[in-house]
Amino acid sequence: MNPAPFELSMLLAILPEILLVVLAALVLLLNLGVRHRAEGVLGWLTAIGLAVIAVLSAVFARPGDTPQLIFGGMLRLDWVSFSFRLLFLLGAAITVLVSLEHARTITGEYLALLLVSTLGMSLMASSANLIMLYLAIETTSLPLYLLAGYYVENQKSVESGIKYMLYGAVTSAVMLYGFSLLFGLSGTANLAMIPFRLTQTGVSPLLVGGALFLTLVGFGFKVSAAPFHFWAPDVYEGAPTPIAGFLSTASKAAGFAVLVRVLLVTFPQLASFWTLVVAILAALSMIVGNLLALTQRNIKRLLAYSSIAQAGYILVGVAADSPLGVAGMVYYLTSYLVTNLAAFAIVWLVAQQVGSEDLDAFSGLGKRNPAIALAMLISLLSLGGIPPLSGFIGKVLVFAAAVEAGQVALAIIGVLTSVIGLYYYLTVMKILYRPAVDEAPLKPSLSWRTAMLICVVLMLALGVIVAPWYGQSLAAASALF
Amino acid sequence: MSAFQIVFLLIALLTLFSALMVVFARKTIHSAFWLILALFGVAATFATLAASFFVVIQVAVYIGAIAILIIFTVMLTRRSMEESGDQLLPGWGWAALVVLIVFGGLVFMLLQWQGIFQPPQVLTAGGENLENLGMALVMPDRYVIPFEVASVLLVAAMIGAIYVAGDHKKRS
Amino acid sequence: MIPLAWYLIFSAGLFSIGLLGVLVRKNAVSILMGVELMLNAVNINLLAFWRYLWAPEVDAQVFVAVVLIAAAAEAVVGLALIISAYRRRQTVVVDEMNLLKG
Repeated sequence: MNPAPFELSMLLAILPEILLVVLAALVLLLNLGVRHRAEGVLGWLTAIGLAVIAVLSAVFARPGDTPQLIFGGMLRLDWVSFSFRLLFLLGAAITVLVSLEHARTITGEYLALLLVSTLGMSLMASSANLIMLYLAIETTSLPLYLLAGYYVENQKSVESGIKYMLYGAVTSAVMLYGFSLLFGLSGTANLAMIPFRLTQTGVSPLLVGGALFLTLVGFGFKVSAAPFHFWAPDVYEGAPTPIAGFLSTASKAAGFAVLVRVLLVTFPQLASFWTLVVAILAALSMIVGNLLALTQRNIKRLLAYSSIAQAGYILVGVAADSPLGVAGMVYYLTSYLVTNLAAFAIVWLVAQQVGSEDLDAFSGLGKRNPAIALAMLISLLSLGGIPPLSGFIGKVLVFAAAVEAGQVALAIIGVLTSVIGLYYYLTVMKILYRPAVDEAPLKPSLSWRTAMLICVVLMLALGVIVAPWYGQSLAAASALF
Repeated sequence: MSAFQIVFLLIALLTLFSALMVVFARKTIHSAFWLILALFGVAATFATLAASFFVVIQVAVYIGAIAILIIFTVMLTRRSMEESGDQLLPGWGWAALVVLIVFGGLVFMLLQWQGIFQPPQVLTAGGENLENLGMALVMPDRYVIPFEVASVLLVAAMIGAIYVAGDHKKRS
Repeated sequence: MIPLAWYLIFSAGLFSIGLLGVLVRKNAVSILMGVELMLNAVNINLLAFWRYLWAPEVDAQVFVAVVLIAAAAEAVVGLALIISAYRRRQTVVVDEMNLLKG
């Protein structure tokens, strides 16, 4: 497929990205005029802006019947980029609303960095070119390093930022070395062209496999799959909690979008090799994540290990190398996004009040605010994969894809580790309804309640009404096969 | 062996030696100076590849900006740097072994491919074709999107860095 | 004439040394220096491939330019975070940053 020549109408396809830049600039400008008291205004402006962008992108940036390469093949306008873009916008909007709970977080810089990172993610999901892809990954990561270290008065946050930056810089350099081999051997940066050119130039599969392996290091880091997961617990624990939520959901989703695109489009000839590697990563992530989560006393570290395990389940869908697997992956990521953002939002609210992120800080939540305790219960059950919540559908889809692809062992590991996962989720649930000394009621702000309402409604809706978003996920999957 | 090859080997050896000194120098500031030498070596390598534009860019961006920034940081964080003692992690021998295996693997993979013994392309009088490069960067059908995104990235990195590295005690 | 293989092996060596620096140094600034060496190895790779295989095309040069930009931005961000950490704790040694262990 050759890139379509430039037309002005193509600008519509990147309208969401343009608007994100405009919004970031606007927020920075307003930040100069707005004093401390009114910083909530900026947050609301950003959240509403993101919602408007989401609506506009759903209306104007829709892909046609056939995928189209635009802007000289830099971007691919298809259902993958479309679905993931909506996902990122939703995640960013929820993160902003949750951050508003605590005024210290919200400054113009914070919001602008979040927006630029969202822009990078959106470009990651639609990149069809190695150069664009590398730049998009960096555009996503650099603001996130800064955001992880954003609480400059807080020792833990600063260290979290440094750790994230160091791990990220190293893995992205390794990935880039893989890119340079791929690019150099094929002479084209167009992801879809690379396999043909490699065949033409007669490069040995071993060399291509090596380049693929280097590339997978970078992607493995982004999706925090074992054995590239070491950063995740430390970074999530130290980073501002809404940012930890954003890292574990939207950033991970962006990593998966890139992973499937590169694997399916660029390495179809090596499918037997990479399905094996991905399956091993998946099994390792599920086992390591779930087992280590059992021993955690800090809720954010527990959620971090749980997110490593979730990455494992999602990788099961990728390893299936089938439309069903990719559709399951998209569905799982959507469900996981709303679920985990809700869990981190509650952690954020409670930790602000109690001043501690230990599991015990959550005791008595059932008394302090039954609605929030119920929301936490729902999100933990959804993470554990209990029907009728969205997490259940996601798990069913990826495990079905694994069985369909003949990877029964992987599905069995998945089911067994899910049971372990359920155990520690239940431990947290028990703590929620334990009596506690401090039973002062929790009163979250309007923005926080809005965000929570969106998350809970989506968790239930995705669990009960499967068809619409599943259809969307299948459309995304078919764009890659 | 031609003179050109000898020059290349000298540059390569000097660069690799400087790179090793970056890793093994006892003081961080010495590492930074060795880094500058290594970066010069890379610039010289670019010169042997007839990429004169990138020689200039390498010197301006890597040595002029990045290395100097690193030296500033080393000096600003001096107190912790001066603490002598081993700069290497305890198990560095194992790490060296791992890296040797990585290097061996990379070279082995590269030697699998016949193309690496090809002669270079003949460059026309235009050399590295800077005009085409400039056009490619701003044409909507080529690389205008990466070009614009790169500018957004640089601005965002700068704003965020100023915020994070700023002195917040003074501000409040 | 220099064979392409020499460049690629040179680049692989520089990459490995950078990786070694990343793995063995305690100090965050030194680790960043290791990353810079790795990125330079990438650029040598790209320009060597360009010169030997794809010379009249400019794509490789665009790639090198993008890598340079990203490297500069990464250095800025990394060093800003390091300075911020130094303000808090007077340390830039990764080894000593052990608040986040568990």
